[in-house]
Amino acid sequence: MNGANEVYRGTHRGAEAPRSATRSSGGAVFLTLLGKECLELLRSFKLIWVPIVFAVLGIMQPVLSYYMPIIIEKAGNMPEGTVIEIPAPMGSQVLADTLSQFGVMGILILALACMGIVSGERNSGASALVLVKPVSYASYILSKWLSIMLLSWGSLLLGYGAAWYYTWLLIEYVDVVPFLLSFVLYGLWFSFVLTVTLLFSTALRSAAGAAFTSLGAAILLTVLAGLIPKYMAWSPGALTGLAYQAATSPGWLQMEPASWWAVITALIAIAALLAASVVLLKRAPARD
Amino acid sequence: MTAQLMEVKGLSKSFGTMKAVKSIDFSIQEGRCVALLGPNGAGKTTTIRMLTGLLAPTAGEVSFRSLAPGEDRRALIGYLPQTPAFHNWMSGMEYVVYAGRLCGLGVSEAKNRAKELLERVGLADAAKRKLGGYSGGMKQRLGLAQALVHQPKLLVMDEPVSALDPLGRREVLRLLKELKSETTVLFSTHVLHDAEELCDDVVIIRSGEVALQGSLASIRSQHRQPVIELKLDEDNTRGMDWARAFVQRTNSGEASYSWLSEAELRGNRLHLTAAHMDQARQALLEELARHSVPFSRLEVGYSSLEDLFMKVVGE
Repeated sequence: MNGANEVYRGTHRGAEAPRSATRSSGGAVFLTLLGKECLELLRSFKLIWVPIVFAVLGIMQPVLSYYMPIIIEKAGNMPEGTVIEIPAPMGSQVLADTLSQFGVMGILILALACMGIVSGERNSGASALVLVKPVSYASYILSKWLSIMLLSWGSLLLGYGAAWYYTWLLIEYVDVVPFLLSFVLYGLWFSFVLTVTLLFSTALRSAAGAAFTSLGAAILLTVLAGLIPKYMAWSPGALTGLAYQAATSPGWLQMEPASWWAVITALIAIAALLAASVVLLKRAPARD
Repeated sequence: MTAQLMEVKGLSKSFGTMKAVKSIDFSIQEGRCVALLGPNGAGKTTTIRMLTGLLAPTAGEVSFRSLAPGEDRRALIGYLPQTPAFHNWMSGMEYVVYAGRLCGLGVSEAKNRAKELLERVGLADAAKRKLGGYSGGMKQRLGLAQALVHQPKLLVMDEPVSALDPLGRREVLRLLKELKSETTVLFSTHVLHDAEELCDDVVIIRSGEVALQGSLASIRSQHRQPVIELKLDEDNTRGMDWARAFVQRTNSGEASYSWLSEAELRGNRLHLTAAHMDQARQALLEELARHSVPFSRLEVGYSSLEDLFMKVVGE
């Protein structure tokens, strides 16, 4: 027993040195939190199955477009002698279709994967053990946000890249510029929606509530942008339409000023949503 | 070892209209072991959560003497909640290293600390196992290890042993006994026995207010009262009749004995709180002899902390 005490006291005397270093190592703490988030994504297999789903979704679109005439012919139950003329799909149109696939299935999967990211830890009390340590609330939220971003941008790149590659193989080559531009615009839309999920995960007790509130908000914004494009062109909801345009237009998309505003408001909204999450977390770091 | 470590001033918390904690004041001296006592729902957990910064107080403040301005008070506190929750996908070793890194330790330092602490709390063999498979007692001990990883000035624990089986309880109490010689400890409990066994100071709270506080020794000597318990023969009506009459006489003030301050009959046991032990013993024996009361046991002693607790809290 005494031996153990000696060890403790011995190290205690030297404890001032690391503590003074503590204050300057906010970056190290952030990296530790981020490392934990990434490890959690890996151990819960999210880092594996989410990209796989995206890749499958991405490959399916060009493959289906390519084989559509044959599929209809074999399974269509058409009367003998019917002639179906399906124009060969444009490569850029296939990419835009892929994006709209991601816009439904992809965002649903990501929102479901991230819905409990704060509320789960808060409800179990695991967040209490982290937040009683000298960890800033902002780095707690930002580490979670960055892990979501890594997962969503990575999955999107993999899935969209696969779609682009298969379109090239089966249909035609699509220029890199429209591909990358539409990728970035869509990625920004994903980031916005998932930041809303993060906020609601901090605000609400229920994980499902967070997923469906943010999906609802996403649908509302896209529908509004579609219904009254004149007035909603500046909203982040216009980003999806912008991405489709970017994919289908040759070369650089000529962006109107209102479209630039959609990008800017999305960025501002993401920052504001993150700040709101930090404030909410600060107000009640843990629940009983 | 008498420097003040922490001071709590006017700490209050209300949830809506419910006042959970009503202006609590107390201070903790360096190196002491302090127990926060109170019945369930008295506001112990709320107080502790405010101390650790997990809950913003409605009013009042918590201040640390040794805290440099601008420094985070969380760096000085190690906290073990009532039922610590961990990430089930981590191993014990990983978690303690993670906790150490969060407190600003370097990679190799955190690893060494984690190894040393896991050894100490008896989890060295389970260090590589996933936390999902840990038992309640193991989780509590791991919670202790992660709370100590940055050598906190103050170890705060919320009901550290309440949820454990007798074996786990023994184990954790043994660890706490060791720890209290090394750092300042504050823990809440509703188990008086644990408090009596471990702590130097007690703060008893009742419905959100401090009912009594001080060092255990001084509280004992101030509030300790001589008590006499007389067990009567239940079948013998003469004894019971005498006891009932005796209690009635003292309570109605009909006959006041200078040596007696309180008399109460519970079943077949007569509880007497005496003013002066020697006089009381003498006078009672005379009384018993005069009425030739048949009793089966006579016990003379002092009121325990539990009696005091019941008295303070039960009002």
